[in-house]
Amino acid sequence: MIAILGYAAILVALAGAVGLVVTGIKASRSVDQDPAAVRMPLFALFGGGIAAAVFLEIAILTHDFSIAYVAQNSARGTPFVFLVASGWAALEGSVVMWGVLLALFSLLVWRRLWRGDGLGLGALAVMGAVSVFWFGLMATAANPFGICTEVANGVCSASSWLPVGSAVAAADGIGPNPLLANHILMAFHPPMLYLGYVGFTVPFAFGISALARSEPGKVWLDRSHRWSVLAWIFLAAGILLGGWWSYEVLGWGGYWAWDPVENAALLPWLAATAFIHSAIVQRRRSMLQAWNFVLIIVTFALTIFGTFLTRSGVIASVHAFSQSLVGPALLGLLAIVVFGSLGLFAVRANTVASAPRLDSLSSREGFLLLNNLLMTLFAFTVLFGTTFPLLVEAFTGREVSVGRPFFDRVAIPFGLILLLAIGFGSVAPWRAASPSIMWERSRFGMNVGLVAAALSVVLGVRSVPVVAVVGLAGFVIGTIAHFLLHQARRARAGDKTWPQALASTVGNDLGFWGGQLAHVGVALIAVAIATTSALAVRTEVTLVQGETAVVDDYCVEYRDAFERTEPERVVRGVRVVLYDASCTEQKAVLEPRLHEYPKFGQVIATPDVRTGLIDDVYLNIAGVDGDAVRLSVLIFPLQWLVWFGGLTILAGGIVALGRTVRGRPQAPLPEDRRDEAHV
Amino acid sequence: MSDRSRTLAWLVVPVIALVVIAIGLRPSEAEPDAEARAYALGVSLKCPICAGESIASSQTDLAEDLRGLIADEIAAGSTDEQIRAMFVASYGEQVLLEPPSSGWGIALWAAPLLLAVGGGIAIYGLRRRESVVVER
Repeated sequence: MIAILGYAAILVALAGAVGLVVTGIKASRSVDQDPAAVRMPLFALFGGGIAAAVFLEIAILTHDFSIAYVAQNSARGTPFVFLVASGWAALEGSVVMWGVLLALFSLLVWRRLWRGDGLGLGALAVMGAVSVFWFGLMATAANPFGICTEVANGVCSASSWLPVGSAVAAADGIGPNPLLANHILMAFHPPMLYLGYVGFTVPFAFGISALARSEPGKVWLDRSHRWSVLAWIFLAAGILLGGWWSYEVLGWGGYWAWDPVENAALLPWLAATAFIHSAIVQRRRSMLQAWNFVLIIVTFALTIFGTFLTRSGVIASVHAFSQSLVGPALLGLLAIVVFGSLGLFAVRANTVASAPRLDSLSSREGFLLLNNLLMTLFAFTVLFGTTFPLLVEAFTGREVSVGRPFFDRVAIPFGLILLLAIGFGSVAPWRAASPSIMWERSRFGMNVGLVAAALSVVLGVRSVPVVAVVGLAGFVIGTIAHFLLHQARRARAGDKTWPQALASTVGNDLGFWGGQLAHVGVALIAVAIATTSALAVRTEVTLVQGETAVVDDYCVEYRDAFERTEPERVVRGVRVVLYDASCTEQKAVLEPRLHEYPKFGQVIATPDVRTGLIDDVYLNIAGVDGDAVRLSVLIFPLQWLVWFGGLTILAGGIVALGRTVRGRPQAPLPEDRRDEAHV
Repeated sequence: MSDRSRTLAWLVVPVIALVVIAIGLRPSEAEPDAEARAYALGVSLKCPICAGESIASSQTDLAEDLRGLIADEIAAGSTDEQIRAMFVASYGEQVLLEPPSSGWGIALWAAPLLLAVGGGIAIYGLRRRESVVVER
């Protein structure tokens, strides 16, 4: 019953999406361009999408194992949080979440339209077209409400994608993939990524609408700016949560492995970072009109490409959970997006104005262009490296791999140049920066960088890359801090106190200072990446009960073992006491564990971490030899700074959002003034 | 602080810092220790049965055994190249996570470099060629 209701909801949403395309295009070409014209199909899209998700959750929470998705991805013993999360954790559920978010975003965009807003109505039609794809997928290849038609050995062994015919239900479901149900972060990491991925549909839709309507000015950028930044924040948060999950769960101590699917999330983020920077140039200096269209099309295409990589199984990856017809469908969408958008772009090229030229390479816009060069170059290199094995195999039949050593090698010089460019770019004035003004604004930061690098050497760091990154990060942070104080001193000219002057400086340009905060975050995370990779200590010790071993500045003691049975898994672990190097002062008790999932025949080693200000001590069970346990002991200096730097980047994005909240026009502006909005 | 001592500080601080850095980072002949070498090798080799994981990061039994093999080979005095060649002989070229920079492998490095040059030229071409207005 619930399968039929759910499927009906999907069909309603699909009809709504089709209706949104038709009415959106019609309304955007009509005389009065009234947003009310798309209300009915939009409500059908949103209502149908929400209902489908709710029915799926009801089916999961009531253990309706006659629905194949429920039987395959949840079980009676699944803890509540993971039960709820299994509504979006697997392929079909993730498509539902995608569709629901897209419907929600369409509704939010619609609420800001006004009479005569043809651009916005056109954007809604584009969002409707994208919705047609996702709800069409749900109605066919990725139907979450397909029923189970055969049960063998207690599990659903055959299913029908249409919810008609006689359904049979297994006594219990299989449950979620153990890796996904092993840590609470897995409930939050995918929704964050989806919010980011789906969010980029909005600026893409405004861009396509502007192209189709031959309105290549900056209005579409102004209208979608907040969405771009919001999607960028969500995608960054999703990537950060994924790294944190990997660190807490995967047991080898890393947070980034250049896995194809990690790359797939990074790629649109890099393109979006380039887009956000180049949008500043167009909004401020009317340059790069064509380039901004290209960047948003590329960003959106990369979100589809990322989904394709994750869901098609075309590249072997720890993330490639599922394979089905969804892969070819996504490839088809990717082709339509790329060729359709670029075709439209070619047709409208004559309306896109030729760009005014750069006054000087040494200027704010010059450095923003350098950002664009670095970001697109890095994105291309990551994309090329990720797909290189596929290309080589297609052309020569040889099997090759491209992994971490390659990406690390290109990321290091890229990162160093990026830090240098951020430092100078942050303080460069618009149009042309004379050498004297650049020197005046950056020499304080240069000194901070040199002192920071020297301090790291005094503290015992002997790794050249680490010292270089510390120096450049010090330069970035010092330069930005100096510039802030410099501006605040000017603001103090009246009788303001320092806090007032700082607040008014930052408050007057939240977009700029939010960006600078994000730059500080990039500098911090660069330092943390350098220390946790170049200065890490990795060793393995074999201990019997009561035995101790000294590792670096610590001493570990194997105290005792424990075992407990939980629903769906057996937990075996050891209690390890962590002391200082003299084995006298107790610092923590850690419990690295092995989680055994009998239904899957899988054992997952789950590490335990003691986080400190100086370093993290990371323990994982490498193996058990009779009475002895082999422990891998990993020490990562400044690991917390990876997370803190990441949070700083997010905070910067959130601050930058503030500007457009204040600057948003409450009522439609007259045509001749619309260009001035949001500036 | 007087203007003169301030100027002096601007000169002295970076010089001291540079000297400290230069002394601290002078090249040393220290060999990388065996564990660091084993880890670096493990990172550069693909775990043959895993989906996209390296020998260093995989938790499978095979990866565990191969980590042991690498440690044994290092202890026996093999060079990194010898150990890599041994893995290629057993598991084929795809065991290397960084393709050799020869033959078709050149394309992997050449394509980004070409793009970098092209992008640089494009930005340089955007420059206005007539006189520059300076604005602070």
